Amino acid sequence: MTAPVVISARELGVRYKRRGGIFRPTRYHQAFQDVSFDLHEGETLALVGRNGAGKSSLLKVLAGILRPDQGTLVNHGVSVSLLTLQAGFDGELPGTDNAVLSAMLLGYTRKQARASLERVADFSELGEFMHEPVKTYSAGMRARLGFAVAMFLSPGVLLIDEALSVGDRHFRRKAELEMTRKIHSRQTVVLVSHSEEQVKKLADRVIDLDRKGGSYVV
Amino acid sequence: MAPRQIQPPEPLPAQDDRLAPQDAFQWARDAMTARQWDAAARRWATLRAVYPNHAPVWIQAAVAYKQLGRHDDAAALLDEARRRFPSHAGGWVQGANVALARGDHGEAARLLAEARCRFPDDPPVWLRSAGLALADGDPDAALVFNRHVREAFPDDPGGLAQYAELAMEAGDWEEALTRWARVRERFPNLPAGYRRAADAEERLGRPREARRLRLAEEHGTDWLAELDAAAPPPVAPPRRRDGRNFIDLVLTKARLNLKSEANRNHLRYLWWVLDPLLYMAVFYVVFGLLLHRGGEGFVAYLLTGLVPFQWFAKTIQHASNTIVEGRGLMNQVRISPLFFPLVAVAQNAGKQTLVFLMLAVFLVVYGLPPTPHWLALAPVVALQLAFMVVVGCALAMLIPFVRDLLNLVPTGLQFLLFCSGVFYTLDTIPERWRDLFLANPMANLLHQYRRILLDHQWPDWSQLGWLALGCALGLVAVLLAYRRLEGVFPRVVIE
Repeated sequence: MTAPVVISARELGVRYKRRGGIFRPTRYHQAFQDVSFDLHEGETLALVGRNGAGKSSLLKVLAGILRPDQGTLVNHGVSVSLLTLQAGFDGELPGTDNAVLSAMLLGYTRKQARASLERVADFSELGEFMHEPVKTYSAGMRARLGFAVAMFLSPGVLLIDEALSVGDRHFRRKAELEMTRKIHSRQTVVLVSHSEEQVKKLADRVIDLDRKGGSYVV
Repeated sequence: MAPRQIQPPEPLPAQDDRLAPQDAFQWARDAMTARQWDAAARRWATLRAVYPNHAPVWIQAAVAYKQLGRHDDAAALLDEARRRFPSHAGGWVQGANVALARGDHGEAARLLAEARCRFPDDPPVWLRSAGLALADGDPDAALVFNRHVREAFPDDPGGLAQYAELAMEAGDWEEALTRWARVRERFPNLPAGYRRAADAEERLGRPREARRLRLAEEHGTDWLAELDAAAPPPVAPPRRRDGRNFIDLVLTKARLNLKSEANRNHLRYLWWVLDPLLYMAVFYVVFGLLLHRGGEGFVAYLLTGLVPFQWFAKTIQHASNTIVEGRGLMNQVRISPLFFPLVAVAQNAGKQTLVFLMLAVFLVVYGLPPTPHWLALAPVVALQLAFMVVVGCALAMLIPFVRDLLNLVPTGLQFLLFCSGVFYTLDTIPERWRDLFLANPMANLLHQYRRILLDHQWPDWSQLGWLALGCALGLVAVLLAYRRLEGVFPRVVIE
C-alpha cells in the first residue's frame, strides 16, 4: 500500500493491575503485548480477538486515553478519536445542551458544536424533544441523540468499538447505513468487532489479538 | 334425539379445477432455485404427465437434466419440445446450450441459426449466439450478435450485461467497469451489475472499490450515488484541544452543571441565595443575638471569615473526588484530567458570586458601607481562586492513588476551619505564633479580607506577594504532575 502511514505502533503492550496493595504482592493481567503495525491513511483496520484479548484497550491506547506499558506509539500528526455515544450526557439538561457539550467533549470547538446542532436535530429525528431534558427521553431517543452527535465526528483516524445498536428498527438501519458509509469513505478507521461478516465486509486488514504479537490476517 | 345433520362432503376438485399451470410449475421451479437438480427433474417429469401441453415441462426438465450431466436425456426432451412447440424459442436456445455442453459446436450453430430465422425478436437467441461465437473463439462475431441485442432490445438487461461480460472475458477490466456502470444505471436491480463489477475491481487490485460496490448492492444505488456526490463535508475537530478551547470547555461544563443543579430543585436558582442566607442567619442568631459573644461587630467579623472559608471548603470537598467520579468519561474521550477538578472550582466560583453579593448587602446593612479599599478584593479573591485550584487539583490527583485519603478530607477541612481564625481574632494569638499562624494561606487570606472589609485598610501586599509566589509554584508543580499522569489516570480510576 502506498498511502502514507499515519500511526505506527511498535511492540505495544498493556497490562492491568489485578490485585495488590501495600501488604500484598501486585499481580498483573497482560491484556496484549508485542503488537506492532502501521496504520495507513484511508484504510480500515479491524481488531478481532476473544473477550479480554485487549481490543478495547488497544483502541484506548490509539486514542491517547491510555498510556501503553510497553512499546511506543508514534502519531504522525493526525487527530484520533474514539467514537463514543452519549459522552458526558446530563439527564437534567435539554437535548440541545447535551449535544453541544458532548460534541465539545469529543474535541470540537464550541463554535463547531453549535453549528452542527441543526444537523444533529435533523438526523436524530427528535424534533421538539431537543428542548426537553434528556431524562424524559426513552432509551432509544437518548441513543439516537448520542449517535447523531457522534456522527459528525470526523477525525483523522476514527476508532469504533463494537457494532452499534441504536434505537428502533428504522433508526438502527439508518445508523448502520451511515456508519457503513463513514467507515467506507476515505476515513481511516480502526474497528473492533465480533461479527466476522462485518469485518469481512468492511476491513482491509485484520489484526488478531489472540495470536502472539497480533499477527495479520488478510 | 334429532339425528346429527350430516354435511354433504365438499365436491372433489374436478379435473378442470386443478392448479393453474404456473402455480404448479412453481413447485419444480423451487427445486431449481435451490439447485436440487435431481428433485427438479423428477418434479418436471411428474408435471409432464399432468400438463403435457405446456412448453416449460419439456424445456425446464431438459435444463435440469443438463445440469445433472444427462445430456442425451436433455437433448431428447428438447427435440420433442421443438416438435411440439414450434413457437417457443426455448427449445432451440436450450438445445444449443446442451449441444455446447456436449462439445458439439456444429449442432449448436445449426440450432441457433435456425432460431435466428424463426425468432428474430427473441433476445436470448441472439445472446446465446454471441455466447457460442465466443466459445468458438470469435469475439468479433460475438460482439456483432451482442450489438444486435443492445440495439434491437434496449429494455433487455441481457444485452448490456453480456457486453460487459465480453470485456471481462477479454481481460479489459477498465472497459468492463464502464460497461457495468451502464448496466447499473439502466438496470439498478440487477445484482450482476454490482457483483461482477466488484470482481473487475478486484482484478484491478482495488479491494476497497470492490467492497464499495458490494455494499452498494446491499444498500441500493442511491447509496453509491450519495457517496459519489460527496455528502456535506463532516467537520473535523482540531487535532488537539488548545488552551483556549479547554478553558471554554471547562466553563461551559461548569455553567451547564449549575443549570442542571438548579433544574433539580423546585425553587431552582433561588437556592443559591437561600442557602447562604440561611447559613448567615444561623450564625447571626446564635452569635449575635443569643450568645452576645465577642462584643460589638463580632457577627461581621465572623461572616467575613466564614463566607470565604465556606467557599474554600465546598470547592475542595467537591473537587477532591472528581477524577474518580469522572472515570466513565475519562475512558471514553481524550481529555486532560485537569478538566474534572477545574470544573468543580469554576462551578463553585459561579455560585459564590451570589454569596459574596449577599455578604456585601449584609455589611452595608450592618453599617460597614463600601470604601475604595473594596477594589483590593479583586486580587485577594483571585489569589484564593488560585489557591483552591492548586489544592483542589492536587487532592483530586492524589485520591485515585490513595482512595483512603478521601475520608480525611472533611476532617482536614474542619481542622483548617479552626486553624484559620474564623471564630477568633488575630489579637488572641500570642505574638510569637502569629507569623506561623499567617503562614497558613487560608488564615492569611481571611486576614486580608477582614483588613479590607472591616478595617477599611489596604491588604498587606508583601504577604499577598508571597502567597502569589507560593500559588504559582504550586500551580507549576500540579501542571507538571498532571502532564506526567495523564495517560495513567484512566486505568487507575477503574482499578
